[in-house]
Amino acid sequence: MNGEYILEVRNLKKYFPADRGLFGRVRHFVHAVDEVSFEIKHGESLGLVGESGCGKTTTGKVIVKLEEPTSGELFLSGENVGKYVGPRKRDYHRKVQMIFQDPYESLNPRMTIFDIIAEPLNIHGIGNLKEREERVADLLQEVGLTPPSSFMWRYPHELSGGQRQRVAIARALVLNPTFVVADEPTSMLDVSIRTGIMDLMMELRQAHDMSYLYITHDLAVARYMCERIAVMYLGKIVEISETEELLSNPLHPYTRALLTAVPVPDPEFSRGEPEIMGSVTKPIDPPPRCRFYDRCPIRTKDCETSDHPPLVEILPGHFVACYEVEKRKQG
Amino acid sequence: MPLLSVNDLVMYYKTKMGYVRAVDGISFTLDRGESLGIVGESGCGKTSISMTLLRLLPENGEFQRGHVYFDDGSGPVDLIGLPEHEMRKYRWKGISMVFQAAMNSLNPVYTVGDQIMEAILNHYPDTSFDEARAKVAELFKLVGLDPKRMDQYPHQYSGGMKQRAVIALALSCDPKIIIADEPTTALDVIVQDRILKEMKRIQRKLNMGMIYISHDIAVIAEVSDKIAVMYAGKFVELADSVTIFKRPRHPYTFGLMSSFPSITGEKKKLFTIPGEPPNLLNPPPGCRFAPRCPNATKKCSEEEPNFIEIEPGHFLACWNPIKQEGERA
Repeated sequence: MNGEYILEVRNLKKYFPADRGLFGRVRHFVHAVDEVSFEIKHGESLGLVGESGCGKTTTGKVIVKLEEPTSGELFLSGENVGKYVGPRKRDYHRKVQMIFQDPYESLNPRMTIFDIIAEPLNIHGIGNLKEREERVADLLQEVGLTPPSSFMWRYPHELSGGQRQRVAIARALVLNPTFVVADEPTSMLDVSIRTGIMDLMMELRQAHDMSYLYITHDLAVARYMCERIAVMYLGKIVEISETEELLSNPLHPYTRALLTAVPVPDPEFSRGEPEIMGSVTKPIDPPPRCRFYDRCPIRTKDCETSDHPPLVEILPGHFVACYEVEKRKQG
Repeated sequence: MPLLSVNDLVMYYKTKMGYVRAVDGISFTLDRGESLGIVGESGCGKTSISMTLLRLLPENGEFQRGHVYFDDGSGPVDLIGLPEHEMRKYRWKGISMVFQAAMNSLNPVYTVGDQIMEAILNHYPDTSFDEARAKVAELFKLVGLDPKRMDQYPHQYSGGMKQRAVIALALSCDPKIIIADEPTTALDVIVQDRILKEMKRIQRKLNMGMIYISHDIAVIAEVSDKIAVMYAGKFVELADSVTIFKRPRHPYTFGLMSSFPSITGEKKKLFTIPGEPPNLLNPPPGCRFAPRCPNATKKCSEEEPNFIEIEPGHFLACWNPIKQEGERA
């Protein structure tokens, strides 16, 4: 394995049982994440974008090992982490952290801010009380909750949403992770607070030499935060490319529809009509063909009978999973 | 007289710790066929305005002062002064509302068609069963639903379809004004896009007045003819949507516009408004935005600016507005 990537995900699958038959035999599965592969470079943030239910959060949870994958492999700095047990597993949990969407639910209301941020240190047995206090104070300073002494002994309910999310970020950073999964960290926050959190996350990434998987439904936020964007649809990545390339030259019909549907903050701008049919279904035992087939404006007979298309590099660094796009590019 | 004119509307919530000044001196007008977007952050009082207009306040909501004149051609009526049984005639028929998280506002044990018929039969008791059913079928077509689905239950609908059904419900008594409170916030962008276009189309077709409430300035930009920017219980600026976006005068409007990322145009550094919105239990003296405002002077934190018309149709409450020939590209 080469050293270019901090994280590599290979053929990741996560199926959830959809219903159970007699005697609890599982008959149907939700294919939440289905053969997903991508890699993230050192210091990069990759945006994982898609509509609700497309499997983006599940992907994040599998990476931080909150969920066990059904199959597939994860590599952190080139090492396969699938078989990690004991101390090595703990080491993985130290290096890979997650920031959750809702700062009103992700912080224990009975713990002080100090206890919340220092808890990972406690679990991993790092430092004594005094050192922990110093560490927490430093972090509070860094995430902009100053002076730290006035926040440390307060409880989450005394803080606003933006302040809470800063606490959640401090907690994610306390173990010096190299990789952070951020699951819609700003979607619950108000516009005027949101930018501050996004800028903070970018500063921290530089200062601590981290990489992010940034999960969001908002393409505009992904554009602001990420060097590359992966678009997910029903458990599959359908397109992945550098951010500006993806936005200016979207190739997959789903990405095109998604981009057309995003409202633009300009009353004089007129958008086109998104070319997409029907509505999202649940990926319960999906047929083996392209997941987007039912809604696709450019589908052909071949698409109906073929497997889900593989991600193919259509332009340098720009991967698309669509037979038609591939054909048109060649023809 | 415009269809709706709201004058100095004030409504506070009474709590153990004192009054929460959610709606504090709001004035605006709305004409037939016009859409007003109200944009502001959560807790600024947007939803409270609509609840006050419809007089659907919770027990601790105390109306303080102001007038809401509704005029459908038969002369202005002050909705605030009406006794409850009179007010009922205006609710739903005069002004109806699509609520936030509307998908959950359908009753799961009745068919969607029956729920809409109930509204029609309640407000027009002379309607026959068949007429009401025909009206529901017509409404279904209007919002883009298959009338065959009338006899289905809400759980058989997708999120977008439920939203359409709720819009049909809001239109059931031919309102003159429809208030839409974040009707697409819980929806994915592709569904949101369809609902937004549908709402705009229907509003134009029926020549209704529309008040569209959202925190999302991009959505507001798409549906509104004019936009009111709300901060901490007050309107800080109101103008036609192009003026609000291209030539904002209030520093908060400018901050809001510049802190919103977009997928079009050049990628630029976003603006951050420092600090947090004030607690409406105890708002700061003077201009409520002063503690966060880059233009604030001593006067701003002492004296409250009035909401005045600085040019035709452009209202502003600010002591130190952004200069007209601003740097804004």
